[in-house]
Amino acid sequence: MKRRKFLLLTGLATGGVLIPTTLYLVSPGIKEYAVLLLEREFKYLKLEPGSVSRYVDDYFAAGGNDMMAKIRWKTMYYLNINWEKSDQIFELMKSFLLSSDFFIHKTDETKVVRYLGLYSPYKSPVPNPFSFLLYPPDEIGEA
Amino acid sequence: MKNSHYDLIVVGTGFASSFFLKKYLAKVNADQKVLVLERGHFYPHAERLKVKRGEQSDFQQYEEPWEQAIQNVNTKKRWPFTTGYGGCSNCWWGCTPRFMPSDFKMKSLFGIGEDWPVDYDDLDPYYDEAETLMSVSGPEETPFPRKGKYPLPAHEFSIVDKILHKTYGNQYISQPTARASRAANGRNRCMTASTCDTCPVNAKFTIENANLGVYEDQRVELVYGAQVYSLEIQNDVVKKVLYVLEGKEYQASAEVIALGANPFFNTNILLNAGDKNPLTGRGFGEQLGMQVLIYLDQMKNVGGSTWVNANGYMLYDGAHRKDFAACLMEVSNAPYYLRMERGKWLNIASFRLLFEDLPLHNNYISNSAANKLVPTVHFTERSEYTMKAIENMKKALPGILSCLPVEKLKYLDPFPNEGHIIGGTRMSKDPKLGVVDQHLIHHQYRNLFVLGAGAFTTFSASNPTLTLSALSLYAADKAF
Repeated sequence: MKRRKFLLLTGLATGGVLIPTTLYLVSPGIKEYAVLLLEREFKYLKLEPGSVSRYVDDYFAAGGNDMMAKIRWKTMYYLNINWEKSDQIFELMKSFLLSSDFFIHKTDETKVVRYLGLYSPYKSPVPNPFSFLLYPPDEIGEA
Repeated sequence: MKNSHYDLIVVGTGFASSFFLKKYLAKVNADQKVLVLERGHFYPHAERLKVKRGEQSDFQQYEEPWEQAIQNVNTKKRWPFTTGYGGCSNCWWGCTPRFMPSDFKMKSLFGIGEDWPVDYDDLDPYYDEAETLMSVSGPEETPFPRKGKYPLPAHEFSIVDKILHKTYGNQYISQPTARASRAANGRNRCMTASTCDTCPVNAKFTIENANLGVYEDQRVELVYGAQVYSLEIQNDVVKKVLYVLEGKEYQASAEVIALGANPFFNTNILLNAGDKNPLTGRGFGEQLGMQVLIYLDQMKNVGGSTWVNANGYMLYDGAHRKDFAACLMEVSNAPYYLRMERGKWLNIASFRLLFEDLPLHNNYISNSAANKLVPTVHFTERSEYTMKAIENMKKALPGILSCLPVEKLKYLDPFPNEGHIIGGTRMSKDPKLGVVDQHLIHHQYRNLFVLGAGAFTTFSASNPTLTLSALSLYAADKAF
């Protein structure tokens, strides 16, 4: 497989981000890098110990944890790629916030953020973060 | 089949068929015999929820992927639909704005397409009836003429909605919707999950939760798994409906036939039956939808209470429709678009912009010699009329949104589908300009109704379900 095609398949060549060959040839112990990425991105939040790790386990289990995905997270961590450059990181972060009590606490950064289970309108206790369920009419006032 | 001959055979159990039957059964005698042939099966909402939760259901065997039900030549353009009891009520998202009066008069007002053989005033009482049957939630003032209140009150505005409504009045309204704003008629209140295809709390109107009393009526015999593919026609009178059930061929005869499948299957049935109308299957399509993300400065867009919280009509009607298409704004309240900058997670609004398109001759549905059950779908082009409207929207939107603290706008690529299959058996006054008349009766086969959005003469920018349901009520009321 040609390198360019490999990069396209792994999603690493999008957004102008290219990954050195040495990084995607090394593989073991990968999920931790997704955890490290999240902890780095949310360093300003009080993350409950173990919450991010449990979330990543569930996230990878639900979405498939193939070799390409593993390589992607490791390389993105080492290259200091953030959510602005990677849709994968953006989705990982968005899903974590929705899967936690962060929005239930109305984005209060002073409160500990706990993982509640992968976000799903069919199973999760987390409501739509924009909705009247969290921000009832008497709270949002008039225009 | 219980009978050798029926007064009416209806094909399909979706919106078009169910609302047609509702009116028909209310008007005809108690001794009438009606046969309903449904391609799929009954797949209860409760079982769909189990599958959504990751559990197994025996009813999954009845899921028919839309990609296998048609041959879609242009795979980049998608046409999702659901077969089975209730049809697309099992996958629609519950948006029920009426069309604007101008949508019915595109030719005379703007020189575009053709006028419908019915107008807004003709449909007004049937809009009312359909809204009542669906327990639609809606505002007190609308940009289209409407008397009285909606059955259920409007959904709550978000703060962004409140500002835009204050600025634009009835050009920016809480969306009329069949997602209930209050618990009513066995449905729960919408909880804003924004997964409305299978509503987690059963707040959305479906044929299953509708309490229409149609399929429970003693006059009606419902047969599942009956794939109708053709008609037997003698001297321009439809005599029989031909279908396949569990691999075997069957026929059923009736005085009157109503095709209430989607435009793909209705067209396939007509073409297999030998319909030579040059417009049968021609000019189908749907609106073009695209999303714009509105990044807000120090404003949380909170407080909304359903998936599409509001509709904006600021780019819809006016003299511009001589040159480019109407645009309906659907103001989303869904949690898909969060921001990741610290402190700005909810400082974003998103609008889905729906642009009307034109019934272009090169977009067409055909039957297939290889498989009589599978229509072939050829969608090749969008109109310049539509594309020009997108360019206009990009020029006008910053000004329209100037009442909000906008940081920036980000336009996403157009969606591959809107879930609206429109046209293919268009209505016309002049038989040379369409397939069915103002009562949805085929111009040539006068005991054959062809129901649904396939009959729309032009597309409008508005969601089609309420209008096609009102048309079914209207057609049955006028004909029986």
